[in-house]
Amino acid sequence: MKRLIAIVEDEAALRDNYAAAFTRDGFAVRGYANRAQALAAFGTRLPDLAIIDISLEDEPEGGFELCRQLRAMSAELPIIFLTARDSELDAVSGLRLGADDFLTKDLSLAHLSARVHALFRRVDALRQPESAEELLRRGPLTLDAERMQAQWDGQVVLLSLTEFWIVHALARHPGHVRNRQQLMDAASVVLDDNTITSHVKRIRRKFQALDPRFDALQTVYGMGYRWVE
Amino acid sequence: MSLRLKLLLLGLATLVLPWGGCRYAREMESALREGEANSLQAVSQTIAASLQGRTDLLYRAPPPPAEAADEPQPDSGAQQATAQAFDKPGPDDLEPLALTAAPLLDGYGDDWPHQPDAWTGFKKDEHHHFAVLSGVYERMLYVLLEVNDEHPLYDAPGTNTLDAATFGDRVWLGFDDAQGEQHQVFISATGPGSVSARRIESGEYGQRSAPVEPRIRGAWQPSRDGYRIELRVPLSMIGHSFGILVDDRDARGAAPVSYGTLRSDDLHTLGRLIVASPELSPYLTQFLQPGLKLAVSSPAGRVLARADALARPLTLGRETPVLASLYRRFVDRPGERQVLESTAPIYDRDHAAVIGSLEVTQTADRWIRLRDHALTRMLTFTLATSLVAVVAMFAFAAWLALRLARLRSASESALTRSGLVTSFPETEARDELGDVARSFSTLLARLNEYTSYLRTLAGKLAHEIRTPLTIVRSSLDNLDSEPVGEEARAYLTRARQGSERLNAILLAMGAATRVEEAIGGAERVTFDLVPLLGSAVAAYRGAFPGREFLAELPPGPVSLNGAPDLIVQLLDKLIDNAVDFSPAGARITVRLHLEPQAALIEVENPGPPLPLHVEGRLFESLWQSRPDGDSRPHFGLGLYIVRLIAEFHGGEAAARNLEDGSGVRVSVRLAR
Repeated sequence: MKRLIAIVEDEAALRDNYAAAFTRDGFAVRGYANRAQALAAFGTRLPDLAIIDISLEDEPEGGFELCRQLRAMSAELPIIFLTARDSELDAVSGLRLGADDFLTKDLSLAHLSARVHALFRRVDALRQPESAEELLRRGPLTLDAERMQAQWDGQVVLLSLTEFWIVHALARHPGHVRNRQQLMDAASVVLDDNTITSHVKRIRRKFQALDPRFDALQTVYGMGYRWVE
Repeated sequence: MSLRLKLLLLGLATLVLPWGGCRYAREMESALREGEANSLQAVSQTIAASLQGRTDLLYRAPPPPAEAADEPQPDSGAQQATAQAFDKPGPDDLEPLALTAAPLLDGYGDDWPHQPDAWTGFKKDEHHHFAVLSGVYERMLYVLLEVNDEHPLYDAPGTNTLDAATFGDRVWLGFDDAQGEQHQVFISATGPGSVSARRIESGEYGQRSAPVEPRIRGAWQPSRDGYRIELRVPLSMIGHSFGILVDDRDARGAAPVSYGTLRSDDLHTLGRLIVASPELSPYLTQFLQPGLKLAVSSPAGRVLARADALARPLTLGRETPVLASLYRRFVDRPGERQVLESTAPIYDRDHAAVIGSLEVTQTADRWIRLRDHALTRMLTFTLATSLVAVVAMFAFAAWLALRLARLRSASESALTRSGLVTSFPETEARDELGDVARSFSTLLARLNEYTSYLRTLAGKLAHEIRTPLTIVRSSLDNLDSEPVGEEARAYLTRARQGSERLNAILLAMGAATRVEEAIGGAERVTFDLVPLLGSAVAAYRGAFPGREFLAELPPGPVSLNGAPDLIVQLLDKLIDNAVDFSPAGARITVRLHLEPQAALIEVENPGPPLPLHVEGRLFESLWQSRPDGDSRPHFGLGLYIVRLIAEFHGGEAAARNLEDGSGVRVSVRLAR
């Protein structure tokens, strides 16, 4: 049975383009123009993944509200924010509401598709027992590439997909400096330097919440970042 | 010309006030003068009226003889004589001057008043004539006799004055006494010097003698045309008539040529002596005031008596010499007489005949002094007024200028800073300047709105364009999966390239907004600038292989409290800029200076110098000065971001040309 992706996007052309791409990839796609339509549909059947724009028709923050409601319906349902808004505040708000990723619309369809696949893979992996060979261990850090899950001293660190990929790219070769472009490539995103910086900051904060002495993610000024064991 | 100077000049215009005051003072002077003239006329008429019919006061009545006091005859005779006294004088009448001082009896006329018309001449023929000047002073009659004589002849010295053979030139004086009796004395001299008069008396037996009349004194001096005799006769000796007869002899003992105002046969007087009463002068004196001169004249015009106090100073205070001379110079009307005169006739008791005239003279001193006084007060007031006006205007001008300067500096700083000031001075003022300030303020507020709109425009535009661009790009992505021909694929590729470029532009446009956000969320940590700069420069060496990078860093640590990420971003922008504006292979120097309160980061690059007009605007939003032909998208945000970050660190950014003009140095000062 085909997985169902719900696209909540008030721009019809864009919605149709995304729908076409996902249909081509073998997904079932439902498009909704606003929150009411989407909620009505979700009431009868939850999709397997939801892609939500923040501003929906006459609700400039409608996406956030929808995300909250959706998260209330299902804790595991992968949710991606896909928006033209790229402000730090929006990203923070979106991820705090439980979204699995926050993407801006300059992302190519191929990249978007990769994310969707990755998220489904994570969902699948979470349902299966851990397989040790997929694990990447760096001191207290354990990265499960299959589930896209990070652990620090055995505690799960809740990272968004982009954040996970950044940590993964850095931790795979500890001590190697990864510049911003490399991190963007790894995370399949096109972002500017400031967004990378804020992503890194957010990652540090999440680790520091678990371990105040966390210092593994270092900035190499003018070059990029590296993971230190 | 500054506003201050203009208003000062305007204030000086109040100096017209003193000028107007002077004009007014002149008018006032005229009025005063007229008033004074009127009052003087009144005074003279009053005094004249008081003298009306007082011939006894005007003219001298002969002294009544003590032994004949009871006789009515001399009274009537005196009455008779005085009744005629004011008649027009005949050729034989003598009208003495009223002298102001007694002449010295020395036979010289230099101490007499110089009045050619006061001389009375007697002429017998071309060779025989004399002239008389007479005057009265203190009850004495003074006579100056100028005799024309081709052969002046003295009496033979040591001879009998009665021996006709010894006679030289001789002068007879004849006069009557109070009783009307005729008396004669003669004056002769044996040489120059003082002379005395002698009277000829016949004794009981016919013997004649010539005793000296001691009351009459005189002096005889030779003169250019003959001789001169100066005489003094007490008026008490003289009645109403007086005469002079000159006996001119060409040789001693020869028959004389007699001529004069005495009958030559019996030496009886022919003319009158018209003299003022001795009471007249004291009488006039009682009316005298400083600056006033009173004179009573006979109908013929001869002054009988005068009281003169013209020169006596008035009690009014004098002006300071400087002011007085100024007034003389600028206010007094040139050529105007400085005295007022008024004449009033004195009538007899019946108001029928004029017995004399009173002349009152007043110096201008009095009203000029009054005028000067008024002028000084007026000048003081107007000058004080002018001074106050000038000072007030100057103060006002200074105040205005100050306010204008405040406005100016406020508008200047409002325009130079990109963050426009919203508070503007003087907007509370209720005058026109306040209106100007308010409209300025409104204008600036609108400009502010406009500028902030422009500043956010890029971000908004980027946001708005993103959705349609995403539609294009996702459509292109979808199209990739569709079967299209080779030719169509080429177009597809171009469309994709175009959309990628558009995307890059959008990213650049939103950069400033994101930096502002980043600054808003930045956390401050204390870190060492030296390794940061060192690693950053090392990174630039890798990133820009076409340039040489030199880092001049201090040996010790330079700790700074701030956001290292932002500092790196600032450096990125500076280096981007330096690379863009420097030729290939150029050396870019990154320098760090440690200052007491700040850290100074300098980035130097060789290249074209900054145009003059860009200084100060370089760090504004949306401003750029780049050579044409640069195909990469630029929105003039790079150095604006530098400024934002510098300001976040309590510092400032500045760009200057290198001293030798070979390049540009951008310096960023960060507060420590």
